Amino acid sequence: MSGAEYCYQNDGGRCVVKVKGEIDIYTAAEFKKQINAAIEEVTGDLHIDCSELQYMDSTGLGVLIGALKRMKEQGRNIYLENLRPNVRKLFAITGLDKIFILEV
Amino acid sequence: MSLAGSMEKEEKINGCEDRVVLVLPNKPEYVSLARLAASGIAGRMGFDVETVEDIKLAVAEACTNAIKHGCCKEDSEYRIEFGVGEKCLTISIADRGCGMDKKDLCQPDLQNPREGGLGLFIINTLMDRVEFETAPNTGFTITMKKYLGV
Repeated sequence: MSGAEYCYQNDGGRCVVKVKGEIDIYTAAEFKKQINAAIEEVTGDLHIDCSELQYMDSTGLGVLIGALKRMKEQGRNIYLENLRPNVRKLFAITGLDKIFILEV
Repeated sequence: MSLAGSMEKEEKINGCEDRVVLVLPNKPEYVSLARLAASGIAGRMGFDVETVEDIKLAVAEACTNAIKHGCCKEDSEYRIEFGVGEKCLTISIADRGCGMDKKDLCQPDLQNPREGGLGLFIINTLMDRVEFETAPNTGFTITMKKYLGV
């Protein structure tokens, strides 16, 4: 069955959440919990390292949209880093690459 | 003739088709199984890696839609049928629900992005042909096609 793993790095105030595996309807609730916990824990921007995120669909996008709204209200931002081509494409076709900051 | 009926007729004209049928419980943990089946079938047919990913995503979005809107009972099921033609993969996903909201097919509003409702837009963008059929008492069916070498 699909699953996702998370780990955190607090690199001099730079909070990085590393997501590994697959985000779908089954794993999206845990993804939401982890992202919300990270938002609570730090005060600055949130960096999500997606280098080992193999798959994500609209359920994961929904979690990220909710998180971004929350962050923007507080004047903070979300940076998505090292997206694989299939995940980057999902942002491109939905136009969400224009509202999220995607970094190489 | 219904839309699904006309697509079926077209496929019969185009040549014989192998069928693979999956019946899955309305439970999120089985969607990965549908993705595995989709990528296995599409890969075997000769679609390139990027297109296999697209087909996998479209199938997952349709399954998510079936689970969320099809029938809220966990003990219910939905059905995925893969029609493997020489030049075309046809995938039908049928649930027992009342269907979809047409506004979910529209381009997402980036000024006010919603947390849901992106699935059908994604399917429509990634697949070559997509048709929907809602029948009273039986449910909602989404039929999508991807052509090889297009």
